[in-house]
Amino acid sequence: MAENRKTADTPMDARRFAALADAYGSALYRWPRAEQAAATLFAQSKEGRAILDRAGRLDAILDRHHVEAPSRMLHGEIIARATTQIRQGRHRRLWWLGIGLAGAGLAGAVAGLALVTVVTPDAPSDQYVMDANATSFGDAGPDADTEDL
Amino acid sequence: MGADPDEELVRRISAGDQAAVQAMVARKLPRVLSLATRMLGDAAEAEDVVQETFVRIWRHAAGWRQGQARFDTWIHRVTLNLCYDRLRRRREWTTDELPEVADSAPLPDALPGDEGRRVQQALQRIAPRQREAIVLVYYQEMSNIEAAGAMQVSVDALESLLARGRRALQALLIGDNGDD
Repeated sequence: MAENRKTADTPMDARRFAALADAYGSALYRWPRAEQAAATLFAQSKEGRAILDRAGRLDAILDRHHVEAPSRMLHGEIIARATTQIRQGRHRRLWWLGIGLAGAGLAGAVAGLALVTVVTPDAPSDQYVMDANATSFGDAGPDADTEDL
Repeated sequence: MGADPDEELVRRISAGDQAAVQAMVARKLPRVLSLATRMLGDAAEAEDVVQETFVRIWRHAAGWRQGQARFDTWIHRVTLNLCYDRLRRRREWTTDELPEVADSAPLPDALPGDEGRRVQQALQRIAPRQREAIVLVYYQEMSNIEAAGAMQVSVDALESLLARGRRALQALLIGDNGDD
């Protein structure tokens, strides 16, 4: 981060001091924190004071701009809408949570079904199971080599 | 980044605590209104933006989790996005790009007591991104890192926007470009 490129231990030169005044104005508390200590030292020099004086001219004008405090009506309208909006936000969040859980459940079911299909060997077909010659040891039908006898 | 000073308040709001709602409005309403007013230069439009910002705050309070940005930075981003929507609509931009070139003709001298309005006019004449940088750092008193985060730019880019913005304001308000 640029804020860390200079520290209080690094002396500040006029060029950097002027660049910071150009950007942040004459109030050092607005300057990057890591450079404030070095800037405070430089500000005591004749050159530093001249740079801050120049920046301060614009600051003095900018400070004349004020925004009126919020009206009671605006304050009241915002408060009035808050309860409804917070409740709607919670419902919306629960709704998405429900969708997420349902999706996760569905994904789990699909994954489980896929696993069972892969792991479980093929079950004998109904025709085979219902075959009268079938036993638990296999097909007890006539041996192929005796069939022709 | 340290603890977010608004986090506890946001948690209480999501639990439906009315006192927390009041405290949040007291804490943020003046800041959001100042930001929107200075970005738009129109009090009525700024109030509309403020209302929309708070609707988003209430809606998202329950889901808020501190990530990289603080809650205050997030509010500023929301407000700025709403302001840019208004600026685009107002000027009927045909693209997403807002002008980078400021109108640099000096403003007429202010009548006594009218300097604030002159500053507001000058703010409206500089490029919106420069105005945004100045409003965040100068008026909202954000640190450079917070302001860069809200603007989604680097700190170097922020400093460049600030310096160009201040030079433009200097030309408009004082009549020189600050190179003396």
